[in-house]
Amino acid sequence: MPNSRRQFLSRSASAAAITFSGRLPVPLLAAVEKKKAPVVLVVIELQGGNDGLNTVVPTSSETYRRLRPNTGIAAGNTLSISSDCGFHPQLQGFAELLEQGKLGIVNGVGYDNPNRSHFESMDIWHTCQRSGDRRPEGWLGRWIESAQRPAGDLTALHLGDQQLPLALKSQQRPVPSIRSKEQFRLRAANADQLQQQLLIASETAESTDDLLGFIRSSTSTALQTSQRIQATGRRSTTATVWPDGNLSRKLQTVSGLIRAGLETSVYYLSLGGFDTHAQQPDAHGRLLRQLGDATAAFMRDLAETEHADRVMLMCFSEFGRRVAENASAGTDHGTAGPVFLIGNQVLAGLHGDLPDLNQLENDDLKYHTDFRQVYADVLENWFQTDSREILSGSWLPSGAIRS
Amino acid sequence: MIRMSELSPLPASEAWMPFRPGIDGDWNVAQAAHLYRRGGFGAPLEQLQQAVDQSPDQAVSGLIEAVEPDTYRSTMATLAHAAAASGDTRSLAAWWLRRIISSPAQAQERLVLFWHGHFATSAEKVTDVSLMLQQNELLRTHAMSGFEPFVQAVSQDPAMLLWLDAAASRKAHPNENYARELMELFCLGEGKYTEQDIREAARCFTGWEVRRKQFRFNRFQHDNGSKTVLGVTGEFGGEDVVQVVLQQSAAAEFLICKLVRYYLRDDIADVVNLCQPLIRQYRDNGLVLKPILKQILNSRLFHSPWCVGYRVRSPIDLAAGLLRCFAGSANTVQLSDQTKEAGQGLFFPPGVQGWDEGRAWINTSTLLGRSNLIAEMLTDSATRFSGQSPADYVRDKFSDNAETIVRQIQDLLFSRPIPGSTAAQAVELLHRRTDQSIREALQLLCSIPEFQLC
Repeated sequence: MPNSRRQFLSRSASAAAITFSGRLPVPLLAAVEKKKAPVVLVVIELQGGNDGLNTVVPTSSETYRRLRPNTGIAAGNTLSISSDCGFHPQLQGFAELLEQGKLGIVNGVGYDNPNRSHFESMDIWHTCQRSGDRRPEGWLGRWIESAQRPAGDLTALHLGDQQLPLALKSQQRPVPSIRSKEQFRLRAANADQLQQQLLIASETAESTDDLLGFIRSSTSTALQTSQRIQATGRRSTTATVWPDGNLSRKLQTVSGLIRAGLETSVYYLSLGGFDTHAQQPDAHGRLLRQLGDATAAFMRDLAETEHADRVMLMCFSEFGRRVAENASAGTDHGTAGPVFLIGNQVLAGLHGDLPDLNQLENDDLKYHTDFRQVYADVLENWFQTDSREILSGSWLPSGAIRS
Repeated sequence: MIRMSELSPLPASEAWMPFRPGIDGDWNVAQAAHLYRRGGFGAPLEQLQQAVDQSPDQAVSGLIEAVEPDTYRSTMATLAHAAAASGDTRSLAAWWLRRIISSPAQAQERLVLFWHGHFATSAEKVTDVSLMLQQNELLRTHAMSGFEPFVQAVSQDPAMLLWLDAAASRKAHPNENYARELMELFCLGEGKYTEQDIREAARCFTGWEVRRKQFRFNRFQHDNGSKTVLGVTGEFGGEDVVQVVLQQSAAAEFLICKLVRYYLRDDIADVVNLCQPLIRQYRDNGLVLKPILKQILNSRLFHSPWCVGYRVRSPIDLAAGLLRCFAGSANTVQLSDQTKEAGQGLFFPPGVQGWDEGRAWINTSTLLGRSNLIAEMLTDSATRFSGQSPADYVRDKFSDNAETIVRQIQDLLFSRPIPGSTAAQAVELLHRRTDQSIREALQLLCSIPEFQLC
């Protein structure tokens, strides 16, 4: 369902105002420089429902101050984005990236009939479908299938403890889930030797049938992938100073894999803990600090390399939180929120108006940009892929990525 | 030995006739191992040797008729209730895996696993462990007997009702989920019914509820009217519609084809034609499974080179198989976690369609997971082969000669020839006879592609 004409304004120092034409932009293939290595998307899922209003704070809003006496961020404490908004003070990293022209904020992202169940809403973001529909595949899973990379390719990688995110699920192309680089390897005591022996066993020239042949080639692929991932660890580390925390460690792993030349195009990570129903200020602040510092370090790590231009991060959450705080110095499940895009090819600044705090729906923020528009932006302008089949419809890209 | 990929199955007229040792193939330890690996989860050398001393037919009967002694059953019941009381499905999974590994009634346990994948119900949604246990015992009770009473019982099983939302099927809003899966996944297969049949069948199940963890029929919510399902009309209740469904000729065909694909090969081109003799018999004997299973496991097709070595071991096959062959035991809590990581968590099928078997077990992450499962099993001090450490057991029970040991392991554990290069490496390791080298030899042998097949 195409959205109506919207005005998107970008307010950073380096970008000019951009207007939306209402047409689906055609990828300018001739103008796009043929890249040697495929582009990379690093998805960071903020689990629990990130409080967008305290992330991109509406500094000139009276309503905000009134509805959040205990949890609201004072305008003077924010890191300025524009005359109307600023970042939470712990988001130094994002402020830095914005100044460098590498951070885009898509405001008011959500969808019709918002669902406030963590699982339901997250599933909706992952599959672009609601619970009534059968949901075998995720949006990235569908992209992976459309990308049709050669059989042994590691097109996507999930770095995390939990089950493979639905977003990556596909019928034909299973995505490995690894807890850490260290874990995706043979764990026998004599692993190196075992690996060698198994490679010999899998690459034997003895003639065979389809089934055994399939297992041999799968074994050989698994071992080679594991070897390549292990080998990336042995390269010299960079001078970048990384903050503490899980997200930072995972982003370090990703940076290492990218710099080692792994052909993976999608890395999927998550940061949990955003479900701040109570005592929000400290908890939320700590999480935002991790998010900002780790992503800034990541971009610094890649800045001087040949990979800088081909990597983009996307940070999203399954919903925002309610405008009014609750009685426990926290906030409850809400609706729309911002999505952050980070990279050299991002059109820096604000995209779309801040949700109007005086035009609430059921006391919640009204969204104006469907999340599928952000996906369309990524699919069309970053992955150079037709998004219509993947998203089951035509969605106007949100215009935050240089096309 | 070079395997021909053009091997095709025997024609239907011959496939299911009894295997004739000496004519259709050899009846030896390797062939007996195949029977126990497929019909059950594997067997140690002594049991295989006893089987070879009998006729194949006697061995099949022995396998299928084996029962759990009362003492064993009561121990298992006690452990099960403890697991259920813990409220942790992991404990129940560990309990079941222990039963799979230790039960004398191997054919029964193999079937329970098959039925678990068929009437797939997941603890992800049915969080009451005692209900999942109850369903598991229901599968065990009905595993080999008549399919109709089985389906009737499953239709009233609280775990199933909760899983498929049938527990809230009301007259005004009949829930179609159970009616659909009954026809599509449990009894007939896709395309053998219409959407109208599903809607009418859903009406038959209205008023079926779960109250205080038990099935209850709520007559006030039951639609008493006349329904027409699959061409038959009547004022059907749930039990009636199950009968109507199972009277369809598609029912026997659907079940037998699924069983043959599970026990023999999952890539059979013209499975319906191949299975005709069995389908007819199954239909004629009122859908009772035991005699059909005996026929399948004693058949020429089952024992043919087309069948041996053409099944991908599921993660449970992998874990249980190794231990069974060495009369072993292990920490099943850890082991069931690892089979889940490798893609098969007991009580956690991925959906109502069960697990995709065959090649679906094999991918980049699961392959490493499978090798790591073996590694952790072999190094864990809780792992015992017939009461001894794996290394002691090999030194005690196998030959002193390393080459012979590899041949013995080939017969016991492998359905495909171990490649020369691997055999040479294993011999070198076994020759040293140290704890570490024996473990490394077993680790290597159980990680090669050939070991993934059975």
